[in-house]
Amino acid sequence: MALQTIEFEIDGSGTPRRVTAPVHYGVVGSGDLEVLLSASDKAGKLQVKVVTPVKGFEDLWRRVLSHFAAETGLTDARIEINDNNASPAVVALRLRQALAELPA
Amino acid sequence: MPNWKKIQTSSFLESNARDRAIGLVDEGSFVEFVGPFDRFCSPHLVTLGEAVEFDDGIVTGVGKIGQRPVFVISQEGRFIGGSVGEVGGAKMVGTIDQAIEFYDSLIAELPDLPDAQRPLVAISFETGGVRLHEANAGLLAHAEVMDAIQRARHKVPIVTLIGSRIGCFGGMGFVAAATDAIIMSEFGRLGLTGPEVIEQEMGKDEFDSSNRALVYRTTGGRHKFLMGDCNFLVDDTVASFRAQLTELTLLPIADFEPLRRIGSEALVEKQLRGVALAVEIAPTDSRDVWRYAGNNDPIGLADGPIADFRKTVQRLVM
Repeated sequence: MALQTIEFEIDGSGTPRRVTAPVHYGVVGSGDLEVLLSASDKAGKLQVKVVTPVKGFEDLWRRVLSHFAAETGLTDARIEINDNNASPAVVALRLRQALAELPA
Repeated sequence: MPNWKKIQTSSFLESNARDRAIGLVDEGSFVEFVGPFDRFCSPHLVTLGEAVEFDDGIVTGVGKIGQRPVFVISQEGRFIGGSVGEVGGAKMVGTIDQAIEFYDSLIAELPDLPDAQRPLVAISFETGGVRLHEANAGLLAHAEVMDAIQRARHKVPIVTLIGSRIGCFGGMGFVAAATDAIIMSEFGRLGLTGPEVIEQEMGKDEFDSSNRALVYRTTGGRHKFLMGDCNFLVDDTVASFRAQLTELTLLPIADFEPLRRIGSEALVEKQLRGVALAVEIAPTDSRDVWRYAGNNDPIGLADGPIADFRKTVQRLVM
């Protein structure tokens, strides 16, 4: 019954992209989520924390986030997600939208 | 930060709580209190294993309209129906109290401060009321907000804005009715017991909540404007709500008194006349009341463009 907290780290890859200003994006609607992007001092790593009511999808979260990290090069950063049953496609989309909020 | 100019032309109905909060005040002036980066989630939802949000579904902060400091509270209907629990309620109370404290300190220093420079509170409601998951904490939150509104009386005007998807129902319907002025769009809905709850308790014959036209002509902005339950009926853009709010920022506190629904003996008598009138005309549909108020074609009036409605509607006089 308790809320699941999933935490893991991903190695940065590709052209590194860093969080220059913290970003908040999204609303925790049904089938949706919110994302916080902030800078972290852990060089070369992307730290991820997901809070979700859904059990048993840790591997899937890791795969979606690894794909996002590889595609965007986001590193030295922390991603915090409050999820409410979002599908992997929605997760990928919201992460992209959050990143687009970053000042260029 | 969302683009302020883009928010202005956006539909108020479609806008999320944060965009509404940012868009209602002057460009670039909004500063958030207890925002998502403070990560102040509801502890009750964690215990129950329910999804949480970093702002608990309520955006609070302060901005400016012209020279007037405007404290803003904006509710997010997409997070658990905009329900108000312990954290969200405390944020509402804290924001209203900030406005009162600011008012007190300003007036102590500058007793002749012009009205258009004194603090005001704007609340954009989108809620079904108490967050049932939080039980007594949610109910208490409502009582505390009501208390804060009373503390603000004759000092800081509190303006309600309703035009979001969920409307404003349940305990928060009472809270909205206790504020000084109410601005709605035709898509805004205001009431106590929501349509689905009435149907569930009293049956489909009493109220068919799947009948959208019936729901809107009973709880929607046009009906509320006709009944005097809301003071202003505006178009469905953030800019239109902002324009009406801006007009109100120019008023001294005394000018908000005639806009109120409760809070004086005369208003209690007016409410009692309303009860007597309901017995007299025994309406079976809001159209009966529209006709009584002097609108001969209630169906045409309900279906026509909002601009025509504002021009031709006869409001109920009690």
